[in-house]
Amino acid sequence: MPVVELAGVTKSYESKVAVRDLSLSIEAGQMFGLLGPNGAGKTSSIRMMMGITLPDSGRINLFEKPFDRRNLDRVGYLPEERGLYKKMKVLDQLVFFGQLHGIGQEDARKRARDWASRMEISDSLEKKTQELSKGMQQKIQFIATLLHDPGLVVMDEPFSGLDPVNTTLLQDALLELKSRGKAILFSTHRMDQVEKLCDAICLINNGEAVLSGRMREIKSRYERNHVIVEFEGSAEFLKSDEIAEANNYSGHAEIKLKPHGDAQKLLHEAASMATIYRLELVEPSLEEIFIETVGGKADA
Amino acid sequence: MRNMLLIAKREYLEQIRGRSFRISTVLVPVILIGLLSVSAFTGHRMGTGKHIVIAADNPALAADVRSNLLSNKRTHDTVDVVAPFTAQDRANLLARIENKSVDGVLIIENSASSKPQVTYISESSGDLMDTSKLDEAVNNGLINLRLTQQGLTPEQVEALLKTVRIETLQISSKGKTGKSQGMAPFYKAMLMTFLMTMPILLYGFDMARSIVEEKSSRIFEVMLAVTRPDDMLTGKLLGVGAVGLTQIGIWIAAGVLLSGSALLEPVLRGDIKVHFTLIEAVLLPIYFVLGFFLYSAFFSGLAATCETAQDLQMYLSLAVIPTWTSFAILPFLLNNPNSPWVAAASMFPPTAPLVMVPRLGMLPAPYPWWQVVVSIALMLISIWAVIWFASRLYRVGILIYGKRATLPELLRWLRYS
Repeated sequence: MPVVELAGVTKSYESKVAVRDLSLSIEAGQMFGLLGPNGAGKTSSIRMMMGITLPDSGRINLFEKPFDRRNLDRVGYLPEERGLYKKMKVLDQLVFFGQLHGIGQEDARKRARDWASRMEISDSLEKKTQELSKGMQQKIQFIATLLHDPGLVVMDEPFSGLDPVNTTLLQDALLELKSRGKAILFSTHRMDQVEKLCDAICLINNGEAVLSGRMREIKSRYERNHVIVEFEGSAEFLKSDEIAEANNYSGHAEIKLKPHGDAQKLLHEAASMATIYRLELVEPSLEEIFIETVGGKADA
Repeated sequence: MRNMLLIAKREYLEQIRGRSFRISTVLVPVILIGLLSVSAFTGHRMGTGKHIVIAADNPALAADVRSNLLSNKRTHDTVDVVAPFTAQDRANLLARIENKSVDGVLIIENSASSKPQVTYISESSGDLMDTSKLDEAVNNGLINLRLTQQGLTPEQVEALLKTVRIETLQISSKGKTGKSQGMAPFYKAMLMTFLMTMPILLYGFDMARSIVEEKSSRIFEVMLAVTRPDDMLTGKLLGVGAVGLTQIGIWIAAGVLLSGSALLEPVLRGDIKVHFTLIEAVLLPIYFVLGFFLYSAFFSGLAATCETAQDLQMYLSLAVIPTWTSFAILPFLLNNPNSPWVAAASMFPPTAPLVMVPRLGMLPAPYPWWQVVVSIALMLISIWAVIWFASRLYRVGILIYGKRATLPELLRWLRYS
């Protein structure tokens, strides 16, 4: 059963339609990616899910019931525009957010300590937020989002501004939540992260869903017409009639075949001209699907 | 409700623990006492402690003027007499002014004639208090002298010149007469208006500043995802209001403790004694809290439309409206606390907190209780309405970054959320 469900949701500001007839649903134990170029309507959609703004039309269900603010205690939200009380001590801040979500003071304190040790910031608990680096503050915000063990986690660009080590730390935490049956939605324009983490996606552009479904299904809709070749010798075979586009990086070529282009034929041609170490038929990356779908229509 | 109280608690504790609270709690009374002490000190210096010499052609007149000048028991002046005096005495006295061994010389000549010549010579140009005091002393002396010359005994002169003090009585609505309080109601009204306006402005603006600060730190969106904007606003108002009451409580407690000590003696030496009745002591905090809520909610709504502290400065002029209004009403209030305009101002929500309590202080019993009830009811309704509006602006305003809202935009925001 879906944890969150949007059906035909539309929201306009003045003359601009921010979200048009958007439908999506996220199941328990699912990691869901909300994708789109800047200004596509990702944040507007998320704000409606959180009750910060109200849809003009359409329906939003949360935990299988029509949207009700009281259920927000079971949601963890990390907005794109992060914010913490700068002059407040980290531990007090985490306890405050935990209490706002309905957990007791002592429980919140204990959970904050556990999370801090897991996120490697135990030493900073007694410091004021303004004394910490941006990356550290991001981790605190991350903990504040998860302290009350929400059933639905909504994160807007959760990894922006983080170094690779901390990105991995946060990704692992999210994967662990997923394995515990939590529904996770995150919005991003970083396709590599979505490809690695998400089970399902919704790609929106100009407020409309242009592509949505499970990752496997989406990828299977696209032909395997990308070829990677590692070779030594003449690169003349890259002029083959089977090829639509090719990029040669001295011995490593990334090739896009023409529609119905034959990879076997290409292999023969290449082998006759060069020594082939590897020739692999790969599925298109999400980035390529994104560019192909959104194309020149994106605003940004 | 739970979140509202949590927000209030957070706001209260953070501010109470903050350095600015400690500093302002100590600094404000220190500055106030400092200013009062300086004015009390200079006041004493101005009227007392001077060394004056009276040079007169008539020794009896000189002695009379001297005793007139020293009749005030609180005076610290020293008054010497040279009578009769010669041209040499005059030159010597002028030299003493120059070398600052005396502050001034009062010369009375031709006292027996119908046009006596009286001159006061000093190094400074002389202040109003000195001149009026000298005027009175010399004229009294001259009248005494003339009457005695007419053959009256000193006792007859005293009986003739005995002044009468006018007793002012105030009639209550039940027709009973009671002792009028003279100038006390004026001082009390001033004091109460100050007591109300200053904290309302200070804490109202504190509230607005903290909203702009939180808006610029982008914390609102996190908060809005767990709590309703009106809970956020009300919680914040409760927290900041409690901080204000705590601070005022500390000042009052410190004032009560210090008033018995020698430290405040120079400040309290003045004759202004203001007594608060029990009703005033109860109503003053009630109206303070209501006024604080009304104005702070209003400022918060404005703050939600601002992007930076600089934008907020624009609204600073609005913040002094309660002060202007209350002080503008003060003369009308003192003139006739029962006039329909003053009665209306004491019930009109924006002015009620600043006018009602001083007004009650000036009215004889029984108080118009129905007006008190109406004013409190109207204030509660307005507070609810302002919070409702402000929280709408709050919800939309805080999500729109990058520019300050124009009036048409504000109206659209009210329609939106």
